[in-house]
Amino acid sequence: MTTAAKTDKALAKLQKEPKPPKPGKSGTAAGEKAGLSQGQIVRKRFLGNTGAVISLVLLALILLLAYSAGGFFGIPGWWKYTHNQVNDLVNGGAPTLQLFPFSLGEHPFGQDRLGRDTFAQTMRGVQISVAVMFIIGLVGGFVGVVIGAAAGYFRGFVESVLMRLTDVVIIIPLIILAAVLGQLAGSRVPAGVQPYVLGLLVGVAVWTGLARLVRAEFLSLREREFVDAARIAGASSTRIIFKHILPNAVGVIIVSVTLSMSSAILLETSLSYIGMGVKAPDVSLGLLISQNQEAFSTRPWLFWWPGMFIVAICLCVNFIGDGLRDAFDPRQKKFNSKRAKDAPVQSPVPTPSGPGQLTDA
Amino acid sequence: MRFGRTSKAIGVAAVAALALSACASAGGGSSATESAGGSQAGGSISVAETNAFSSFNSDSAKGNSDINGKIAYMTRGGFYYIDNELKVVRNEEFGTYEKVSDDPLVVKYTVKDGVKWSDGNPIDAGDLLLNWVVESAFANDAKTNADGKVTSGTNYFDFAGDTSGLNLTKQPEIGDGGRSITLTYSKPYADWETAFGGLNDGGIGLPAHVVAKKAGLADEQALVDLIQGLKKGDPEKPAKENAQLKKVADVWNTAFDTKSLPSDSSLYLSSGPFIVDSITPDQSVTLVRNDSYTWGPEPKASEITVRFIGAAPDQVQALKNGEVDIIAPQPSADTVELLKAIDGVTVDVQDQLAYDHIDLNYSGVFADPAVREAFMKVVPRQAIVDRIVKPLKQDASPLDSQFFVPAQEAYKPSAADNGSSAYADVDIEGAKKLLDGKTPEVRIMYNKDNPNRADAYSLIQESAAKAGFKIVDAGLGASDWSAALGGGTYDATIFGWTNPGVGVSGVPQIFKTNAGSNFNGFSNKEADKLMNELIVTTDKAKQDQLVTQIDKLVWASYYGVPLFQSVGLDAYNSDRIEGVKYQPNQTGVFWNFWEWGVKG
Amino acid sequence: MVTYIVRRLFTAVLILLGASFVVYQLTALSGDPLHDLRESNSPNKEQLIQQRIELLNLDVPAPVRYFQWLGGAARCIIPAQCDLGYAINGQPVTEALGRAMGMTILLVSAAAILAIVIGVSLGIATALRQYSTLDYGVTFMAFLFFSLPVFWVAVLLKEFAAIGFNNFLRDPEIPLQAVLLIALVSAVVWFVCASGTLLRRLAAAGIGFVLAAVVLWVLSATDWFAAPGLGLVLIALTGVAIAFGTTLLTAGLKNRKALYAALISAGVGIVLYFPIQPLLAQATGLMIFLLAVATILVGLAAGYLLGGYDRRQSMNAAALTAFLTGALILLDRFMQAWPAYVDNSRIKGRPIATIGSETPNLRGDFWIQGIDTFTHLLLPTVALLLISLASYSRYSRSSMLEIMNMDYIRTARAKGLSERTVVMRHAFRNALIPIATIVAFDIGGLIGGAVITENVFAFAGMGQLFIQSLQRVDPNPVMGVFLVTGIVALVFNLIADLVYSALDPRVRVKA
Repeated sequence: MTTAAKTDKALAKLQKEPKPPKPGKSGTAAGEKAGLSQGQIVRKRFLGNTGAVISLVLLALILLLAYSAGGFFGIPGWWKYTHNQVNDLVNGGAPTLQLFPFSLGEHPFGQDRLGRDTFAQTMRGVQISVAVMFIIGLVGGFVGVVIGAAAGYFRGFVESVLMRLTDVVIIIPLIILAAVLGQLAGSRVPAGVQPYVLGLLVGVAVWTGLARLVRAEFLSLREREFVDAARIAGASSTRIIFKHILPNAVGVIIVSVTLSMSSAILLETSLSYIGMGVKAPDVSLGLLISQNQEAFSTRPWLFWWPGMFIVAICLCVNFIGDGLRDAFDPRQKKFNSKRAKDAPVQSPVPTPSGPGQLTDA
Repeated sequence: MRFGRTSKAIGVAAVAALALSACASAGGGSSATESAGGSQAGGSISVAETNAFSSFNSDSAKGNSDINGKIAYMTRGGFYYIDNELKVVRNEEFGTYEKVSDDPLVVKYTVKDGVKWSDGNPIDAGDLLLNWVVESAFANDAKTNADGKVTSGTNYFDFAGDTSGLNLTKQPEIGDGGRSITLTYSKPYADWETAFGGLNDGGIGLPAHVVAKKAGLADEQALVDLIQGLKKGDPEKPAKENAQLKKVADVWNTAFDTKSLPSDSSLYLSSGPFIVDSITPDQSVTLVRNDSYTWGPEPKASEITVRFIGAAPDQVQALKNGEVDIIAPQPSADTVELLKAIDGVTVDVQDQLAYDHIDLNYSGVFADPAVREAFMKVVPRQAIVDRIVKPLKQDASPLDSQFFVPAQEAYKPSAADNGSSAYADVDIEGAKKLLDGKTPEVRIMYNKDNPNRADAYSLIQESAAKAGFKIVDAGLGASDWSAALGGGTYDATIFGWTNPGVGVSGVPQIFKTNAGSNFNGFSNKEADKLMNELIVTTDKAKQDQLVTQIDKLVWASYYGVPLFQSVGLDAYNSDRIEGVKYQPNQTGVFWNFWEWGVKG
Repeated sequence: MVTYIVRRLFTAVLILLGASFVVYQLTALSGDPLHDLRESNSPNKEQLIQQRIELLNLDVPAPVRYFQWLGGAARCIIPAQCDLGYAINGQPVTEALGRAMGMTILLVSAAAILAIVIGVSLGIATALRQYSTLDYGVTFMAFLFFSLPVFWVAVLLKEFAAIGFNNFLRDPEIPLQAVLLIALVSAVVWFVCASGTLLRRLAAAGIGFVLAAVVLWVLSATDWFAAPGLGLVLIALTGVAIAFGTTLLTAGLKNRKALYAALISAGVGIVLYFPIQPLLAQATGLMIFLLAVATILVGLAAGYLLGGYDRRQSMNAAALTAFLTGALILLDRFMQAWPAYVDNSRIKGRPIATIGSETPNLRGDFWIQGIDTFTHLLLPTVALLLISLASYSRYSRSSMLEIMNMDYIRTARAKGLSERTVVMRHAFRNALIPIATIVAFDIGGLIGGAVITENVFAFAGMGQLFIQSLQRVDPNPVMGVFLVTGIVALVFNLIADLVYSALDPRVRVKA
């Protein structure tokens, strides 16, 4: 099975390479002077990535808007309508938002055919979708880390059982799990909780990739000297796993979880499209756009607002994940392309610099 | 650097060359590829359908889908069809049928001379007899337990239709030189006129001579003899399984199921205007004219292609792109609006023979008639119609009868008299008075995946809460909700019934005490008595009168309220084709396919 | 090695058994197979329910039914004996599966190949110019496409690329605004792609603008869209350009023997352009395949004969050039058939299709059928391509970045190799190793079908079969699809490992 492990390791490298516990190589980015902790270095590198920082701010703003407008945990939001409140149609249901001069109007994002406020629905959809996204990411991350860590650290029988279990789960189509969930959630779970249960179950189904990555990480980290040192010093397995190995694997985990979150929000959209996702009266962004796809060109506001939020959230999460990858991974540093390009010129062997030299040679 | 410059140089050269040769090749010089294809005179018409074709036997349990029925409709002869005003139109050129006597009810079916299958074999009493033995379940003597498992006896043909009518008939007599059969009913049957050989039910289904041959019988006559030798099955005294008939039944049940065009052409013989020419599995079926067909309306088009496209928006775009000429998608306000925006497309939005209703259980919180009445008063029927149906169809109004739809003559008098006017407007105060300070908790069950039902629920919930009802959302997903019907998990349910348009045998199925589709426990002795009378009444006027009486009883017992009649939709490329007309039952636009023609 | 494979396959069978049991039970649990009948008010409801119970054996508990199914499935080891049961509509699952698989492979193969080629090239390009405008632009677009729900993309494509383009074909004249707009977009693309000082990049943008505008104007003025074609001149010029390009990438222009070999193979193609036309008029798929093989052989021969100090480089350059030149001639021939295709009475002048995989009953020669397949596959392929670009470009970018920071790359530079050699020979090849395993995993996943894309484009593939059966709670087809995807996934998993060990000498399989 070593080959499989190697393959996983290769994939893990693509996800990200952990920072070794010794100080960073000399000659890397300016921030990596001796004396900075790994966390500080990562933070510094991440904050230096404009795209990631803008995305983080944008995502925070979207969440702030959604949660403050719609209210949460029973705290009412500042927006005057709730997502399932039926109102009279204003302006034929079209958005009343105006930019010049700026005014929100009665229903800035418009209304659906029953007169429900699209802004309130979209904000509610953002709340639910983001919650589902985090639940999927965190649950999947947790299960994946536990299983991957146990398999990678203990090896032997534990590893083969856990890895065969992973193999079984990895080939069961996700949609089947979601469909069963639809059945369970429909009949036994009260409305309102259903989306979270959906997230929970899908999360339980998507841990396999991470488990393989974490196992590969553990396989290589457990052979390192600092682990041997800890073991000789008499540390328990739990302590070695959580205090010594896990912090070194945290990069690959964070990056993988972040990127799985962006897939999660699209997965929820796809499930809604085939009728196996979040169900009314709950709303999610995916449900809103799949319900309103026929309104694509007739009442575009029903489709575009939730659609724009999906794309915005997904883009932000992806950029954040990308930024984290670069921040955690010293190998992803910017190689000096300037110097690289100069190198051949300084080399003793003359190289043609264009088609013109062809005739001379 | 070098990379950039080189590629730019290549780019410049490439573009210059492109410009030069564009001039050169536009002038011609290239030999045109020959292309065959195209269609004969009369033209080809392409129709979009949601489901994919799967069987040439649309009457069997497995082949019973709308699309198989539509293909059969175009490739079979039959004694009558249902037109777009829900009238029975007989096709006397195919054959005739007449009521010979009223008591006992005797009906004689005769096929005209010269009517034949596309392989030249005439359609005769053998074909009628095969149809009869299938549709009457004459020989079946099986008993089944609650799980649906056969415990004794045998079920021969897996016929998907209703056998209760023809099951009343005795072994038919063959006459007119083997071209007619005479059916004698043991008691009068209300729907005798639409009991046998209608195009909407697959016409005269499968060719007897082919079935006989496939079942290993010598010829059609052997099959006729086999059927005529049968005794009526009795589940109490099951006979030994008839091996020969079982073989015939197996052929009938499965041999005609196919998704592609079989190499054996006897499996898709036609006795109608069209015959299947080619099939691309799960994508399209192409039908061409059946040359031997002369008995009935002559089609204008020479070829009809049915293409399978699942979702409404995709059908709309295919119509817009000219890939199909006729579509009949699930209606929604947005689909209608989209279609209306396309140039050269005619859109028909009309009533369908289905209606949504909210039914109240006669138990639990609704055991008290006053609570039922109060709830009926708060259902915002007008608002539901305004928000859900009006965007599609301007002149929609709430449905006021549990039995009739406005297209039927009896609707108006029945609606005026049945007491529905008391629930025309929401009456919160009246409901509050009836509730007398109580706040009953009502669990409403509906199909969450049906937007109309989900929206109706939202509106009802909003309104009922004002009168003090505590509404609990007991909605379920598309594949679960129907299993909950009749169970105790809800107090009221929003769903739809299909009105067959012709015939009354569906009435007791819903409203009779303990009937199969009586989910809310409605039970009324007087109504039961009237329904027993109804199913043996053959006179149309008398039938209407009885149903009107039942309608009134149902409303008076606070059964629930009908909400609205569903809306159907078809659209076609009227720049190119003509003759497409809306039809409200399951045959849909196909009902007059022979009138479809390509313009110009 | 053999022991290793056998052991892996044995485990795979066990995994498959376990997973198939779970899937069967879950499918049976996922809904009520009688739901459509329960809500019916037809008089013979009980009878219909009973028929379906009998058809699907619903009176037998699901775990027992699984073993009945397994009994039939186990016989699939002997191909002719395979019995995967029947679907609700009475169709044998084996038959349905075979057809669906064909459709899925048709749908996803082109998209997969294009996604790999384009994605990897973009990834390499962005890695070589990390944190440039190009990098940010490509990253942003890749993530944007990735973030779009696919049915949304599909609707847009149908509206603009099919309906819009077909409308445009009725009168193929590009309005001035459109010309300017497209030229502007082209300018932006050139600006982003160009490197160097702002002035240089602005100049590039200017060139891009003018070029696009002129090309569009010429195409519009000559009614090129109604009767497209390349013509000999363009083929000749492009062929020469290809010869230079391939030599540049594979051998370097300095290697004159390679360049001459490439030029000769391009020349052969150009010379043969007219003589081969009558032959092409009776083309069949097999003939085209043989011609392609012959073309490559000619290229190899040219490379071999001219030889030079590195024969293999010349052969590669010449073969690639020959193949691409041949492809150009083929493309030109398809373009010649285009007007006949568009005028066909079944196409009615609207070539780009929104649904299905073929025009029903279209009869025509190889070229007409080829164009028909192209017009039907175009939109779904683009939709699939857009969403899968992101992962390939990101993976290959990070893979390439990692390699470019390796010590041996520094060594290669230090010993004075040209940048082309460093990138193409040392870095690119090693960067491909991990990508190869990802490709293997991905192909395993692709056979499962693209559920939503298949749905939107009315393609009756595996995904659609799976989802429709699941919605009907019809376990047999679901199990059939699962069996195929499960086996393919496991096999490709194994292949990924083997490929990895073959490509990376540091990894060895352990028996």
